[in-house]
Amino acid sequence: MTPAFDKLQQHLKQLPGLGYRSSERIALHLLVEKPARLPALVVALEEAARSVRRCACCGNLAEGEHCAICADERRDRSVVCVVEQVPDLVAIERSASFRGAYHVLHGKLSPIHGVGPDDLNLAALRARVESGEIAELILALSNDVEGEATCHYLTEHLPGGRPVKVTRIGFGLPSGGGVLYADSVTLKSALDSRRVYS
Amino acid sequence: MRLRKLTLRHFRNVGFAALEFSGRQHFLVGANGHGKTSLLEAAGFITALRSFRTSEQKQLVMLAQHTAAISCAVEHEQQGDTQLTIKLRHGDKELWCDQTRVTRLADHLGKFPTVVFSSQDLQLVRGSPAGRRRWLDLTLAAMDAGYFRALQTFTRALAERNALLKSGRPADQELAAFEQTLAPAAATLIELRRSGLQVLAKSLEASYAKLCDGAEPAGVGYDPNFEEADADALLARLEAGRARDVQFRTTLVGPHRDDFHFTVKHTAAKEFGSEGQQRSLVLALRLAQAAWFHAKSGVRPVLLCDDVLGELDPARRRRFWSAIDHESQVIATGTSLPATAGQPDGELGTWQVFRVADGDFAEEVAAAEAPA
Ligand SMILES: [Zn+2]
Repeated sequence: MTPAFDKLQQHLKQLPGLGYRSSERIALHLLVEKPARLPALVVALEEAARSVRRCACCGNLAEGEHCAICADERRDRSVVCVVEQVPDLVAIERSASFRGAYHVLHGKLSPIHGVGPDDLNLAALRARVESGEIAELILALSNDVEGEATCHYLTEHLPGGRPVKVTRIGFGLPSGGGVLYADSVTLKSALDSRRVYS
Repeated sequence: MRLRKLTLRHFRNVGFAALEFSGRQHFLVGANGHGKTSLLEAAGFITALRSFRTSEQKQLVMLAQHTAAISCAVEHEQQGDTQLTIKLRHGDKELWCDQTRVTRLADHLGKFPTVVFSSQDLQLVRGSPAGRRRWLDLTLAAMDAGYFRALQTFTRALAERNALLKSGRPADQELAAFEQTLAPAAATLIELRRSGLQVLAKSLEASYAKLCDGAEPAGVGYDPNFEEADADALLARLEAGRARDVQFRTTLVGPHRDDFHFTVKHTAAKEFGSEGQQRSLVLALRLAQAAWFHAKSGVRPVLLCDDVLGELDPARRRRFWSAIDHESQVIATGTSLPATAGQPDGELGTWQVFRVADGDFAEEVAAAEAPA
């Protein structure tokens, strides 16, 4: 349309989930339909870029050195739930069923996608284990080849001398879902991760 | 299982076709390139959402169209009357079973078994190991969710391990991490291929004897690349082979390099079998596949015979018809109706005949019985 418009659209198009049409719509919306919104958005972007970063301890989003969860005195820092991405952490938080701390890897091992151990937030995890503050690691990584490989890599490379209990979350039936409607893969893993009922 | 109604829209060269099948035997007659094989391809597609002719879904959608659709009314031993609908667009597949969308192939696989007899099957004897592995995987995965799952895991873990080997920076610990998931899945495949092929070999032997009047023994044998169906043994072998794998930038050992072979009179049929023996072997293999599907699922597969009968002499053809399960539905194609009493292979009873021309399927009204 115009050089500046095209440039903006090109940048928007590179964002996840946006294609050609949607980036064009957003650019038109911001520049032509609701230009009044633009200054506030620019300020918000600049401010977020300045202040939002990875928590030095767990890798979660933070505005200071530490995230809200790491800074919360009431959380049990000896139990750490390891997740792939920040949205996984958010999902577990929403369930309000976990009162420990987290560690976000920001990915999983996948040579196909060029992701190796150096691309994951592993050094900080080793440091946490080394410090002796962790008694249990709960691996909440996805139940696929890459998730399993990452779990294996991670447990094989914990620093020695610090006894840490490592557990893997169970993969079973969705709650409220019956056996009848579960697919066979889910049923298999639900059976595999069964526990004693008393 | 019986197909009662089959509707195609924009599938290959068929703009629209709706066939109603009555009885058990159906013959599609017409010149080549007019849509006979496309119809069998569509009927076969319902089993595993795969074509027996191509792995490129694009080719299945009629030129200049967005969507191809296959719709099928099925009489099913276990599920009663079922309506299946498949939509194909841009490399996307959508499957509906009655009013429910099926999102996991694993839940559908093998429930609606069909077996295709095609003249291309000769490649199963003559061609590369990849074609035989594909056939074996499909046959076993269709009836065993455990095999299907192991195959998916193995394929993915192997792709990750090979990507690591190609990356030029393969670290032992990373290779080990993927070997941990690869090895158990590989062991499952080796074990199930061995036991599956043993059953299939017995069944093939029996079918071959019927096709050839019991004149000569025939068989299939498994040629595993790694013999032991044992995850720990394979783990050790993978670890020992890492240096070589790094050098060749690929995984050299494992079930992805398996093969199986055919024998007639205890001699390799690929090298020494006559064309007639090879043809009988693949027919016997398909009959064994049908028997396997029936035994494993309790559902009789529909037999789809794509122009294979024309290649057989009358005696062999008669023996072929006597070798198949006589409760199974058969949909066969050919360029001409065999001249037995005005009906193809009329001694087997009545065939429902469709004339095929330019993607059009017209049912032929039963002709007067010719004098014997
Ligand atoms: Zn934190």
